[in-house]
Amino acid sequence: MPGPVAVDIGTPSPRSSFEEIQHPTYTAARSNPRYDAASPSWSSSSHQPLVEELPMHYVTDEKARRRIIRAPGSVDPGSSPLTSTREHMPYEMHPPTDHVDDIDDDDGKEVYRRMRVATALRQIPRPPPTTFKEDLIENLPAAIYTLLSCWTRFYQIGKNNHVVWDEAHFGKFGSYYLRREFYFDVHPPLGKMIVGLVGLLSGYNGSFEFKSGDAYPEDVPYVAMRVMLATFGVLMVPLAWYTSRELGFSRRAAHLTTIMVLCDVAWLCISRFILLDSMLLFFTCTTVFCLTKFHSERHDPFEPDWWIWLTLTGISIGCVTSIKWVGFFVTALVGVYTLEDLWEKFGDLKMRKRDYIKHWIARGALLIVLPFIVYMISFKIHFLILNHSGTGDSQMSSLFQANLEGNDFSKNPLEVAFGSKVTFKNMGYGGGLLHSHTQTYPVGSQQQQVTCYHYKDDNNHWRVEKPWTSAPVDDEGDIEFLKHNDVVRLVHTPTGRNLHSHTVAAPVTKLNNEVSCYGNTTTGDAGDHWIVEIVDDMVLGKRQNVPHVRSLTTKLRFKHQQLGCYLVAPNTVLPPWGFKQIEVSCDKENNPNDPHTHWNVESHWNGRLPVGETKFYKSPFFRDFWHLNVAMMTSNNALVPDADKEDILASSPTDWPWLHLGLRMCGWGDNQTKYYLIGNPAVWWSGTASLGICVLVICVYLIRNQRGYRDWGVGEWDHFLYVCKIAGLGWVFQYVPFLIMGRVTYIHHYLPTLYFAVLMVGHLFDHLVFKSRRFSERTKWIIFAIASGIVIGVFWWFRGVAFGIDGPIKEHWGLLWRKTWNIYESH
Amino acid sequence: MSTGARRRGIRLPQPDSPGNGSGPDGLSPRSLTPDPTHDSTVGDEDPRSVSRSFPAASGPPEPEYIHNIACVAITAIAFALRFYKINHPDQVVFDEVHFGKFAAYYILREYYFDVHPPFAKLLLGLAGWFVGFDGRFEFEAIGDSYSQHHVPYVGMRAMPAVFGSLTVPVVYQIMKECGFPVVICTFTAALIALDNGHIVQTRLILLDAALIFFIALSLYAYIRFRKVRYSEFSRAWWGWMVATGVFLACSLGCKMVGLFTFFTIGTAVLVDLWDILDIRKKYPMDVVLKHFFARALGLIVVPFIVYSSFFWVHFKVLSHSGTGDSFMSPEFQESLSGNELLMKSHEIRYYDTVTLKHKDTKVFLHSHKERYPLKYKDGRISSQGQQVTGYPHEDLNNQWQVIPSKAIPETGRGRVVRHNDAVQLLHISTQSYLLTHDVASPTMPTNQEVTTIAKEDARSRYNETLFTIDIINGHPGQPWKSKASHFRLVHVPTKVSIWTHPKALPEWAFKQQEVNGNKNSEERTATWFVDDIVIPAEDEDLFSREGGPKEKVVKKMNFFRKYAELQLLALQHNAGLTASHPYASGPINWPFLLSGISFWTNNEKLQQIYMVGNVFGWWTCVVALSVFTGIIGADLLARRRGIQPIPEFVRNRLWNSTGFFFIAWAFHYFPFFLMNRQLFLHHYLPAHLCSVLVTGAVFNFIAGESINYPISVPGPGMRRMPTARSDVGMKAVIAAVLYAIPYLAMFFFLAPLTYGTPGLNGDQVNRRLLLPSWTLHFAGKATTS
Repeated sequence: MPGPVAVDIGTPSPRSSFEEIQHPTYTAARSNPRYDAASPSWSSSSHQPLVEELPMHYVTDEKARRRIIRAPGSVDPGSSPLTSTREHMPYEMHPPTDHVDDIDDDDGKEVYRRMRVATALRQIPRPPPTTFKEDLIENLPAAIYTLLSCWTRFYQIGKNNHVVWDEAHFGKFGSYYLRREFYFDVHPPLGKMIVGLVGLLSGYNGSFEFKSGDAYPEDVPYVAMRVMLATFGVLMVPLAWYTSRELGFSRRAAHLTTIMVLCDVAWLCISRFILLDSMLLFFTCTTVFCLTKFHSERHDPFEPDWWIWLTLTGISIGCVTSIKWVGFFVTALVGVYTLEDLWEKFGDLKMRKRDYIKHWIARGALLIVLPFIVYMISFKIHFLILNHSGTGDSQMSSLFQANLEGNDFSKNPLEVAFGSKVTFKNMGYGGGLLHSHTQTYPVGSQQQQVTCYHYKDDNNHWRVEKPWTSAPVDDEGDIEFLKHNDVVRLVHTPTGRNLHSHTVAAPVTKLNNEVSCYGNTTTGDAGDHWIVEIVDDMVLGKRQNVPHVRSLTTKLRFKHQQLGCYLVAPNTVLPPWGFKQIEVSCDKENNPNDPHTHWNVESHWNGRLPVGETKFYKSPFFRDFWHLNVAMMTSNNALVPDADKEDILASSPTDWPWLHLGLRMCGWGDNQTKYYLIGNPAVWWSGTASLGICVLVICVYLIRNQRGYRDWGVGEWDHFLYVCKIAGLGWVFQYVPFLIMGRVTYIHHYLPTLYFAVLMVGHLFDHLVFKSRRFSERTKWIIFAIASGIVIGVFWWFRGVAFGIDGPIKEHWGLLWRKTWNIYESH
Repeated sequence: MSTGARRRGIRLPQPDSPGNGSGPDGLSPRSLTPDPTHDSTVGDEDPRSVSRSFPAASGPPEPEYIHNIACVAITAIAFALRFYKINHPDQVVFDEVHFGKFAAYYILREYYFDVHPPFAKLLLGLAGWFVGFDGRFEFEAIGDSYSQHHVPYVGMRAMPAVFGSLTVPVVYQIMKECGFPVVICTFTAALIALDNGHIVQTRLILLDAALIFFIALSLYAYIRFRKVRYSEFSRAWWGWMVATGVFLACSLGCKMVGLFTFFTIGTAVLVDLWDILDIRKKYPMDVVLKHFFARALGLIVVPFIVYSSFFWVHFKVLSHSGTGDSFMSPEFQESLSGNELLMKSHEIRYYDTVTLKHKDTKVFLHSHKERYPLKYKDGRISSQGQQVTGYPHEDLNNQWQVIPSKAIPETGRGRVVRHNDAVQLLHISTQSYLLTHDVASPTMPTNQEVTTIAKEDARSRYNETLFTIDIINGHPGQPWKSKASHFRLVHVPTKVSIWTHPKALPEWAFKQQEVNGNKNSEERTATWFVDDIVIPAEDEDLFSREGGPKEKVVKKMNFFRKYAELQLLALQHNAGLTASHPYASGPINWPFLLSGISFWTNNEKLQQIYMVGNVFGWWTCVVALSVFTGIIGADLLARRRGIQPIPEFVRNRLWNSTGFFFIAWAFHYFPFFLMNRQLFLHHYLPAHLCSVLVTGAVFNFIAGESINYPISVPGPGMRRMPTARSDVGMKAVIAAVLYAIPYLAMFFFLAPLTYGTPGLNGDQVNRRLLLPSWTLHFAGKATTS
């Protein structure tokens, strides 16, 4: 809708107490939004000065910032401010008002005033293009860029017919979906399911091992798979175009941004393989796009378009977090945007309370609940597909495993008796199986190590024996089932030693007692005696209803008879001498609710007992979901840089913005097709520089504003800041967490972050050049041509690293732009 | 500032003196009606925010003498509590081990190295010197007796105790200057004066007393500076600003924590400057710049000079060689008289036999005839060459002869080995050359194996036996010297640096340290030096062949280079203090006093000193901090909805003055969360002081609806302004007295832990275990199950 017509305000508001002082620049002063809007009398009467046509239409190319040039003879700082004020008032910006409260002195209030402007002065969104011509102008570039991007992404995509880099992981995980075998990985399943789907669509049967560096056999349609996944990368480019248009960039700026997205070699390179990154990038872009779309709809809340874009933002967040957890960082941007928006609305006194609450509910439902549902659905599908036993079983609870096909748990005899051979599973999240091996502790008692281990292995087997004080189990006699408060001796079957504890400090958790394996079938002491305490049973319920220990469902604790401590595996990792397995110790504190002291019998063998026909083990989805997520979190945190082993591929976050390091994605032999993951220096360096320049520009504007210069029309500053926030804060949220987190990082972690830097480049070019009035059209064209020329030129220079380099690398000279790159020789 | 001055009538601004004094006062039309006022202490106010209803001044202001009496009384209490039994224990307590020792070094004038800046330690040294300490006592371990060694420790402890006691009146004055009534000021000062934590920390030979005192003084000086802001560029204005700068430098000179005080004041100054920049203040740009540069001068340049001067004194005093030598660069060491380097450093000539020592781990480059095993445990294969290891003891197998790779003259200076010369190193006892090649080292697959090759086989692999002597910071032609030249040994063909790390090799190498080739040829830890020239190439005296005098002269080194070197080193070491300590604790524990530090114990008398604050007082501070955040949050929300719950001038003070204290607290507290180094409870004491200030202000806010207003010194040419008086009245006094009962009780209850006397039996200790996380000694067994 068109803005209100400018109204003559020749006569000042009668409520003003300052009529007697006639300010010559009164109207000019009024045009300043910042101080004007603060006055309630203004916002209610909507008086408009004649200076400008207000409100502005959507920021367009033609609009440039206006500067109020001082009238000749106006204030000279040295001259008397009093006289000059009276005459010219070039500094005077206060609307005369009788509301003292409006002008305040502490910073807190300044903030409000600024915000009130934002709510008071509404920007009218650009009307949708109506004519065919406008449609064409808007969409044609997108179409052309998409085609170009198809070409770059698909060109010679199958050139290297070997498993390149992390295809070894993600190709393999995709195969598991086709084979329906349960596996475990630190990333959420959506991306890998898409890989699986892509495999299915292209007719791959899931039988390939995806060993790193292997050649693809005939029956693996790797080209089709790569093409389908590269499509996500292709779509980044049109999204960049529409996003920059939605952010109000001029055409030239939008072109430049899109060209940068099109021509970055790192994005190109990473999109061309069977990896998750193309999807992650795509959904990062859609999230930003949906957010900007939603922002444009903000003046028509609860209209269909508003709902649509809010919903799409939510879905997009759900997808991006379901692909990799780093997607969560872009969610932070949406979160902060939403909070600021709600805070702004909180100050809008005219908004009805009901509407305000509705805003909250809408955001909560569509930006928190909806993404969460998407995330959970992806896990639900994950569990539904992977219903066969596989490599990842042991990360899950025993009960979950019992439901996997090909698992023998369901054949377990139901009730555990003395003489049974069993494995014990720790019920803490990410808990493993009680394990021991012949290696001894290098510290403490130096006896045989006891650990928790995540994989199935004979070293996890224990036999339940009678204590030394009673007669050994009679293989012929009556079967004696294990009850609450029974004293047992647990014998490690491969080594014949007994599970033992004593008053020696545990190797890592020094406050606990060490647990070791000691003695043999004949020697031992009371330190080998453990009291079995039943906590409860998932089927039978409370302890009182559990006569005997059942496999899988009964929750047990082991109390050391002598010391009264409890067997615990609190997810602490042993040093390399313990093979980084999980420490098992004996906790002196009795915490009945600590799941790390809870164990259940997982596998159970006893020839004298009937095989269980138990198929009534049901594992609730939410528990499995939660369990898997905690396990993922635990493993993710365990991916710490190994001090002993220098990882040649890893890089630290500080290496990324200035492109300090690249990454070899495959073998570097002369007859191999080589890919080098490195960005387009023109894009990366300008992106990083633009962030610094942005801070500088904002500071300059703030200082100028503080000094009374009026550089902005109504709403322009808010819009400028809004784009800076999307790009700048987006970058910060995507980048800073990497600095803090302890896990090992690689250069491709920066790729989503880079998108925000590129948006910032576009924004600054737009603001400083393309929308500036200082430059003529011709100059703008020249600058545009040079900037995009450089980007394209550098892209062409480096295209080989993404398209694949054949032959000896030495023959491709001129690629070493920084000495630290290991493109020619490894350092 | 006297209260009288506040009420003086002030004239209209002089229209023709914009830059001088009348700046902040309105020249805008509105200011012609009511008058600007000056209220808040820190932060800013707009002179126009006036014409709202002020409560009538309730009663006359409190006379100055009441303030004086209260201040003197609380100071006297502070002195009494800090000097009470200051001679007990007559043993070394906690970090007196370090700081007593450092004081002794100043007296002996021996160079030492420490991560803390020298000011507080210089003061301790001065105190020691003053009371006649001869510096002979070693302060070796906690519990060493002072009286047996005739150490005048009471005099040395008196200095921190004086600083600790004087902190109390400073706190009192801060509150007074911020316009709080007597009862609030006394309450606040008492929270410091009777705090067990402050007392125990400030009556021992430690740095914190001086640190806290100067931090408080910086805040005080800045507040005074803020109050005279309407008389800009006046003498008082300059005086208080420079004083702020000097005190800041002093606090930074005590400990690096002073940097946080810099941030606090810096933030306030930025806010202030931002406001001066505001066009509505009518300052022309040149005045704004003048303000800016004045602050840069007073708060950056002056502190820098003062801070550097501490180091200047430090270097001047410590002119002799001491324990800190080896931390420093060779140039630095040669400037210390009696330094080994200075005495025994000689140029190395070709065919000299030398021993090479690794700078960080102090092992010699060693080889013996045993060979690397063919296959390691992890299945990798070695070259089976002769082992080269790091060995910490003197041994014939550490000797290497320097063989030239070029023709050298028979005699003379041409035989001196120089920077960047390529040499071979011949292992004397096995007659083989040092060599490294592209075979993985025993424990690190990424690094190259270092071995030797027999002299007779060496011809075919000649290149692989060449190493360059890369002297650190060396210039072309610089002679290679024993002791003084730190160098890297860079392999010519593969550019790896000979490197070692404290990892022991397995049994087959007698658990000696691994030596390998590090691919980063610039690796900082790959630094070696020649420990000694064992056999000179010519049968000459080492001194005479250099033709120099036998007595070496102490070399001069530029102060600024010394200064820069020490700063850098301190930073590196500070970050390196990550070893765990039984009493170290994380910052999150501090405000709640979840853990203390055991300073000293005496097993016979069951006495102990346990550093922990007055629990009641500290928790009050935590509550006050949360209340403050709550008030601010509620105020923000309310005002967002157009409601003004707090009177304007009260809110102003809340935001600007109390807010300043709050920021000070935040700056002195939160950065610790980012630090990886060892942290202790006493690191919280400066932040605690700031939280105490917040507590006083919050008490005032709760007790009364008004404040003393305005409190700033009016500038020339300002008019009369409305005033307000604080109305806390009797109820605040009663509240304070009621508060004092449990507070004092807690103080006396914990006093045995603070003073280390009297001894406590098991039951008494158990009773004092107020929080289960405390780790007191001599706890009774009965109740710990």
